[in-house]
Parts: sequence; C-alpha cells; structure tokens
Amino acid sequence: MSEIWKNPLAPWRGDAEPQEAPSEAYSDPGEVWRAKRQSHTKLYKVGRLRYYHKWRGHGAKTWTRTRYWPTRRRVLDIRGEYNPKILRREKTIVDKRPIWWLLSFIAIAVAPFLAPKDLQSTLISAGTVFLIYAAINLCWTLILGTAGIFSLATMAVVGAAAYGAASMSVFYGWPWWTLPFVGGGIGFVFGVVIALPATRLDGFYYALLTLGLNELCRVYVVQSRTFGSATGGVYGADSFIPTGASQRVELIIGYFASFALMLSALALFRFVNGKRLGRILRMAPEKREAFAQAVGIDYRTARIQVFIISSVGLGVIGGFYASYFHGASPSLFSFDSVLLGLAMLVIGGLGKAEGAVLGTFIVIVIDKVFLQLGPIRLILVGAIMLGVVLLLKNGLFGIKHQFRDWRDKKKSENRSTRAEKGGEMLPEEATEAGDKDLIYAQRFDKMQRDYLKGVVSEKLVEEHARNPLGQHSEPLERLLLYFRRQPQVDKYAIAVIEPFKAYRIVALSGHRGVAPRVVEEKTYPSEREAYHGVFLRRVQDLLES
Amino acid sequence: MSKTYWNAPVASSEPQGPILEIKGLSAGYGPMRVIHDLDLVVRPGERLGVVGLNGHGKSTLFLAIAGLTGWQRGSIKLNGREVGGSRSQGPGRYTHLIVRQGLAVMPQGDEIFHGLTVEEHLDSGAFTPRAWRERAPRKERILAIFPPLRKLMKVPVGRLSGGERRMVSIGRGLMVDAALFLVDEPSLGLAPKIGKGVMEALMAIELGSSAMIIAEQNVALLEGRVDRILGMHVGTLKGEASTSLASQTKRDL
Amino acid sequence: MDLGFVIVSAVTLACIYGTLAIGISITWSSLGLINMAYGLTFATAGYGAWLVGDQLQAIDAISDTTWIVGPIVILAGILTGAACGVVICAVTFIPIHDKPNFTVRGLIASLAVSLIGTQVLLQVFGPRAKSLPPLFGDWELPIGNVVITADKGGAMISSIVLLALALRWMKSSRRGLEIRAMMMNPHAASLVGIGVRRTGFYVMALTGALAGLASVLLSQTYYISPFSGLTPLIKGLSVALLGGLGSVNGAIVAAVILGTNEALTSALLGGQYALITQFLLIIIVLLFRPRGIAGILDKAREA
Repeated sequence: MSEIWKNPLAPWRGDAEPQEAPSEAYSDPGEVWRAKRQSHTKLYKVGRLRYYHKWRGHGAKTWTRTRYWPTRRRVLDIRGEYNPKILRREKTIVDKRPIWWLLSFIAIAVAPFLAPKDLQSTLISAGTVFLIYAAINLCWTLILGTAGIFSLATMAVVGAAAYGAASMSVFYGWPWWTLPFVGGGIGFVFGVVIALPATRLDGFYYALLTLGLNELCRVYVVQSRTFGSATGGVYGADSFIPTGASQRVELIIGYFASFALMLSALALFRFVNGKRLGRILRMAPEKREAFAQAVGIDYRTARIQVFIISSVGLGVIGGFYASYFHGASPSLFSFDSVLLGLAMLVIGGLGKAEGAVLGTFIVIVIDKVFLQLGPIRLILVGAIMLGVVLLLKNGLFGIKHQFRDWRDKKKSENRSTRAEKGGEMLPEEATEAGDKDLIYAQRFDKMQRDYLKGVVSEKLVEEHARNPLGQHSEPLERLLLYFRRQPQVDKYAIAVIEPFKAYRIVALSGHRGVAPRVVEEKTYPSEREAYHGVFLRRVQDLLES
Repeated sequence: MSKTYWNAPVASSEPQGPILEIKGLSAGYGPMRVIHDLDLVVRPGERLGVVGLNGHGKSTLFLAIAGLTGWQRGSIKLNGREVGGSRSQGPGRYTHLIVRQGLAVMPQGDEIFHGLTVEEHLDSGAFTPRAWRERAPRKERILAIFPPLRKLMKVPVGRLSGGERRMVSIGRGLMVDAALFLVDEPSLGLAPKIGKGVMEALMAIELGSSAMIIAEQNVALLEGRVDRILGMHVGTLKGEASTSLASQTKRDL
Repeated sequence: MDLGFVIVSAVTLACIYGTLAIGISITWSSLGLINMAYGLTFATAGYGAWLVGDQLQAIDAISDTTWIVGPIVILAGILTGAACGVVICAVTFIPIHDKPNFTVRGLIASLAVSLIGTQVLLQVFGPRAKSLPPLFGDWELPIGNVVITADKGGAMISSIVLLALALRWMKSSRRGLEIRAMMMNPHAASLVGIGVRRTGFYVMALTGALAGLASVLLSQTYYISPFSGLTPLIKGLSVALLGGLGSVNGAIVAAVILGTNEALTSALLGGQYALITQFLLIIIVLLFRPRGIAGILDKAREA
C-alpha cells in the first residue's frame, strides 16, 4: 500500500524541501468508523415493540368498568391514558386472553350444531371426552402448577372416585345426582391420604410414589372380583341422561353437561389460582421456599389445601364420569392414560389454564377423531410431546415468552460485544459522567486513534526523521496534526540545555508556575533529532493507548 | 497497525510459540460483560500473577479460558490451538475438550467431589491415558509437595478442612502434564499461614515448558516470586500485559 | 407356608429388582434424569434376546446345548439393552441436558420415548407374548428341604456376578470414577476433563445393560411383551425410592427388603396384596426418612 508522495510545494520552495518521499496511500478514516460500528457477529432482525391497538377513550362520560359479579375483579385489564399528541384519552387492552377464552367458549357451544352429519356422533362424543379431560387437566394444573406438587396420581383419584360412585349406584341404587358428591367425598379422602407424603417428600420422590400408587390402583382393580376383574369394570350406574331419548339428544345433553363441568373446573382454577392460595404459592416458588418461609409465608399448608381442593374437584369429575359412562373401567388407571394426560399438559404448557385446555384439545383430536390412523395415533402424540419437550421451555403457550427471552439474550450479547472498552465509556461510567459531550468526544477520539494507529508505518518514521519540519506527506501530516491538537497536560516539549548542542525532551505540566518534568536523561545533539525524538515518543504513546 | 514493523524483534527472538495467546477476548454472563477486549500472551516457563479487586474479572478470565462463561467472543489460543471463538450457549459444553488441550484449572472455592476420597480425587485429575497409567508415581510426587495429605488418602474430601481441600484441588490439577495451570485465589478463605504454605507449594512446582497464572488479591504473596505481575481492572489488564505493549516499551528505535 | 420357598423367591426377586433399581439410581444421580423409558429398555432387551434365541433354536446343532445358548442369549439381551440406553440418551439427555428445567423435561421426554417405543414394539412384534428358551438348563439344587430350581439359581448367580462386576468397574476404572465424579459435581467434573455428554452415554449404556440383564433373567418366569416393561419399571422405581435415589448401597438393601416383603405377602395374603403392602412400606419409610434408606446409611451425602 505504498506510493510515492509528491511534494506540492516543491516548485515554489526549490531545494529547501524534498521533491518526493515514499509514503502510504490514502486510507479513508471512515473505514475505521464503519468497521467499529459493525457487529462482529451475525445480527438477526429481531425485535419490535409490542403492538397494542388503541381504542377510543370514554370522552366526558364516567368510566365504568365491567366486573365479575359479585367480586371487584375486572373482566378485561384495560389501561386508560391521555395521549398528548391527539389531546384525547385512549384505552389499551393490556391482557387480551379473556377475549380469546370467550371466543373459544362460543366455538365450543356452537360446535355440535355445526358438525357434519355423518361424523356427528364421533365428533360430539370426542368433544365430550375433550371437555371432561379438560376439566381433569385444569384440576391437575392446579396441583402441578399452582401447588407445585409433582403428582401423577390424578387419574388414580378420578378413577377411584368413578369406581366408588359407580359401585354406590350399582350396588345400592343411588341416583345419578348423588354420584358427584360421592366422588367428591372419595376424592377428599384420597387427597388427604396422598397429601400426607407430599409434606415430607421432594418433587421427584413424590412423582415416582404417585406413579406407583396409580399402578397399585390398577393392579387392585384388575384383580379384585367386586370391581369386575371378569367384566372389565363396574357397569350399570345411573346416568343423568334420560332414558328413551334419541341418540342425538343424549349426545348433546352429555356434551353440554361436560361443558358445564369444564366451566366449573375453570372457575375453580381461577378461584384457587387467582386468589389467596395462588398468591401465597406464587410467593414461594420452587427452590426459594426457605425465603418465603423466612418472611412468614406458610406455603406448606397452602400447598396441601390446594392439593385437597383439587382432589375434591377431581373426585367430583370422577363421579360425573361414572354417571356419564354408566360406570368405570380399569383403563382409567392405565399407564397410558397417565401418559396421555401428562402429554396434554406438557403440549399446552405446564401451569397454565389455557395450556391445559389447548393440549387436551390437540391430544383428543389426534386420539379420538383420527381413528382411522390406528395405533400410529399414540406414536404421533408421543412424537409431538417429545418435540415440545425438547424444543420448548414451557409448551405451546410458552413460545412467545421463550422467543422474547432468546431475542433479549441475543440483543444484549450483541450490544455488549459492540461496546468497545478503551477510550469509550462503559455504560456505568457514562451515566455518572457530568458532561455528556465527553462521551462522544471520547468516542470520536478513540476512532481517530484507531485510524492513526493504522497509518503509522516505518516509512512515515523515516520521512519524519529526514525532515521533521516543513511540508509532509498526507498521512504524516494527519498524524502530526493530531499530536499538536492534544491538551497541554503531559504534552512533550523540547528544552534547550545548550543551544545547537544539547536538547532534552520534557513534558509540560499544563499548569502555570509548575515546571515541566524531565522525561528522559538522554540529550539530543541537534534540534532535528530532538524533534524526531518527540515524534517517536508520541507515536509510542499513541500505539500504547 | 503495521504489526510487522513494531513486533518484528520479539517474534524473531522467540523460537517456541506462546502457551496462551488471547486476543480481543470479551466474556460475560447474560447482559453483563465482565471482560472487555482483553489481550494476553503467556510464554513457556512463565509464572504470571494477576492481581485485582473482587469483581474485576480475574475468575471470569479463567472461566473464559476454560469455556465456562455464559458467552464469549474473541480468540484464545492454547498451545497454538484455538479454544475460544464465539459461543453463547451457556457454560461448560466444551470445557472438557479445552481441558484436554492441556489446561489445569484449580478453581476458587469448592469445586470438588464431596463423596470421593482424596485418593480418588487425585485419580480423577489424571484424565489422559498416560497420566492414568502413571498415576501412582504422580500421586507420590504430589504427596511430596503436600505431605499433610498422606494420611488423609482414604478420607472423603467432604470431611476435610478448607486448606486441605485447596491442597487436594491443586494436587488434582497437578496430576496431568498440563501446559497451563490456572490457579484462582489460592489463599482465599485460608488462614494466612496456610495460605502462605499453599503459595510456597505453588512456587515450588517445577514448570518446565508449561506456564502458570495465579490470580490473587494479596499482592504481597506474589511480589518478587513470579515473573510478571499484571493488574486486572474492570475487565482489562493493566501493566505490561500484551506482547505488543511489552515490545513497545523499548524506546530507542 | 414353605419358608424355604419364600426365602429363595425373595432372594431371586431381590437380585433382579436390585439390578433394575441400581440402574435407575445411577441414571438419576449422575445424569439428573429420571429414566421413565427404563421399562422400554427392559422390553426391547427382552425382544433382542428373544430374536437371538429364536435364531439359535433354528440351528439344530446347538439348539439343545444350554451352555452355548444361555450365555449368547443373555449377552444379546445385555447388548440390546445397552444400545437402547444409548438411543434413549441421545434423544432425551443430549438435546436438553443444559437447558432450564431439565429434570422435569427429561422426565417427560423419557415418558414420551417410552410411549413411542412401546407402540413401535407393538407394531413390529405384535401383542402376542414371547418366551425365551431356558437359559440355565434343567437342574435342581436341594439345600436341606429347600430346592433351588435352575432358573432361580441361575438368575441369582448371574445377576450377582454381573452386578458385582459392574460395581467393581464403577469402583476401579477411570470411566467408573468419571461417572461417580459426575454424580457429585458436574461442574467440577468438566474441569478435570470429564465430558458430560460422553459420560452420559456411558452411564446410559451401563444402566441399559443392567436392564437388559434383568429382562433376560425375569423372562425366565414371565413373558416378553411390549408392555412387559411397566411392572419392572414400577418395581425398580420403588426399590430405588426406598433405597434413596442415587445410592447403590441403599438400593441393594431396599431390594432385599422389598423382595422379602413380596415373597412374604404372596405367601401369607395372596399375590394381589403384594403391591399394596409394598407401597405402604415405602410410604412409611419415606415419611420417616424422606431420602430413603440411604439417608440412614450415609449421613454425609445430601441432595
């Protein structure tokens, strides 16, 4: 990158100045700037602000919010603010989930009437199963998510309640409306019994224990003669579906009863998760229980309460199950049903009501609607479950959050990679700097030094040695201009010890009345060599900075 | 800058390449950047001290060399082989491979296996097949450096005191022929006398062609016994840190 | 009640359950993974052994010589189990082991693998149960009034021998040391050149091999079917639970206790109560010792 510099002043000054000198080619100072600004790593086009639609404000009228009767709780989380640009108030719906819930309820209510005629019975009974399982999974979500107890005995509770209720009805002739209460009672007893070890055991010990309990129930039921080891279950329980109605009416009654069941399970979920118990447990997240306990949060009791409440809920669902299916079968306890239930929760996202319902929907659609696929259905469910677990942090409803986390991580990594130390202020220094112009001055200075470091070469040093004063080549001139522009403090100067014989390099103090300090003992025999000595020192300092 | 010109004399006088060559290393955890654009060259046979206050990145420098930081950028060459590069997948995925390039890390604090006995612990440090075969004489060598360990060989490490644990941790690092020893705060949390003893032992280790970096807050323990002392301040090295700086201190051109 | 018979079956069951439980325990403590696909490994290993046994039966020359067929079939089961363990490791451990929430996700991933694998087995081999040829010949060893039959004696001897070999390997070799080191402190393990992923494969191969062994031994009395892995999984888990997850010694003691319990209950109350007494026992022990028997044996180890 070298070229010969031709002195433009040569025709005027004659032999006083060199005609030409070997020098470096022109390099653009902008290059450094652009290179520094560029990211070292590949940048993804991620990130935009969250979009909210702005609704009209309420104008001069008083703002009345819709609330859930009889609570003070708002149906929609609406934020109202004054927009100074349009001089009007506007409203923002912060949390749109209730709208989606409402839409899906409408869809569920309308669905049985829209189903195609030839598939109607399949679809409606699949829908009923979906609603029942959604109710079960909502209660299970309370246990897993809210209470944080990793229990796999949910189906065991449901099954036990269903068996108990069915046998009450079959052997003692109890009517259908008592069955949910019987189920609830059994659920309570079961809940208390299963909750006992939960007070002592860690998460995974408990998971394995409950899995074992489930298997225990299955083996017991399969081998017990009263519970139909021969007939494959207890059948003949009284049902809420009136006898003698047409099949379509039966299906629709069952469907809407299950819908009501799911809605009440959702209400239970909201009631427990959103109120006192849920808040207590949110204050005592996993692995930080000790802190919660230290500030007086009795999370153990809250956990057990949630567990027992949802066990009662599961028991009621079991009673409903017995009454809907006219009985109970051992398949309730099978390992596969635990697995499918867990798959539902995992696909949707553990600990979220919407996740439980959506996951149930996906799994039931695969399992009960695509019947023609045969045994591949289960493999498909397993594959979806595996994919969700391997790729997603918290199910389908966690995607948004996971993406944002990833984007923020990338953003901050890229930002911290770009921020160069050396001349440039770190964020924490910059916030403390009084004069903010300094931030930019330092940044500019750093860029300039980076550029000049690239300019320094042996040729320039030689050029300067030949001719410290006068016209210089373009890069050397830039270098010298930068050196001259430096502040007085610690600027190098030449002290004359003996004119024309001895010179010495000193550094100015920058303060009136304070003598310059001697930098080195070496004396230079001529002015030119002293000039060059100063130049070398400055180059040295530049490269060291 | 035109490196050829300014670095030429150094490069010619150095027949063997540096053990560790760090260029432009930045590292941190999540949004926090702890090490800023750091350069460091360590040559064979060198004993290097890194001093600095808490939270200025001494340990993070070691963790970054071992690939244990949350993310990092920049080049780290260990024995001429690149072990750094850009990565952001969280700590520890490639640490064992980096360690196998000839790195012995003696970490700060209790990075030990509580249930293993001292002997098993020393064995665990011998991760190359050769070291595993020769583990008996090597253990003897370490026992010569740390005599108190001799009667503790069958004791689980979880029952040892802090100083003994530090000895075990250092001994574990010495079991294999590492090219570079990283010792993080050998005197931290130890009684001054024991800390001094540990430091004596470190100084007594025959380096040969390998190198050692000791991070320490107590400069007095290092002064005059290591070849170079570098200061670490808010994520950058101060003092005679990189080769470019080292060569430029020669003034007379 | 025949006391001798009870003792013999107790010891046999203890050997087989111990083999299973130690596998589960090691997996949990070194990888932090609760391997719910262990039952799948068990069933797959059974099928692998059955395939090889079937091929051997076809060869007339050696179909009757038990001392050739037996070891080959056992070896086939062990190798299939190890291969299955490696596959499970590659699917459930490698992709997510350094991701947040690994314990729950690993558990669920292994459940999913077990769901898929069981269905695949069902598709490939059909629902009909298969049985292995007798591996230990046809001999009886009367000790006093107790008669040890060939299958029980063989199961006892081979599981004890192989388990002792595996534990000896864990104790003395470099790999075993790596596995144990990773059990205690994965972070420090990486600093002494122990690769978490590679060790994961070793652990899963070892535990898979143990499952394979248990599978071959147990299928002397039971049959091999796609779902045959569930009961052993539950048994293995309960032994591992009772012994304290992660403790080999605890698992051995627990296996003896639960084997005795099962044999006694079957003899006194009847087979269907075996699980009930077993879980009552486990619940009682865990209520007092939340970390199982290991909590009593080894006070130093926490978490």
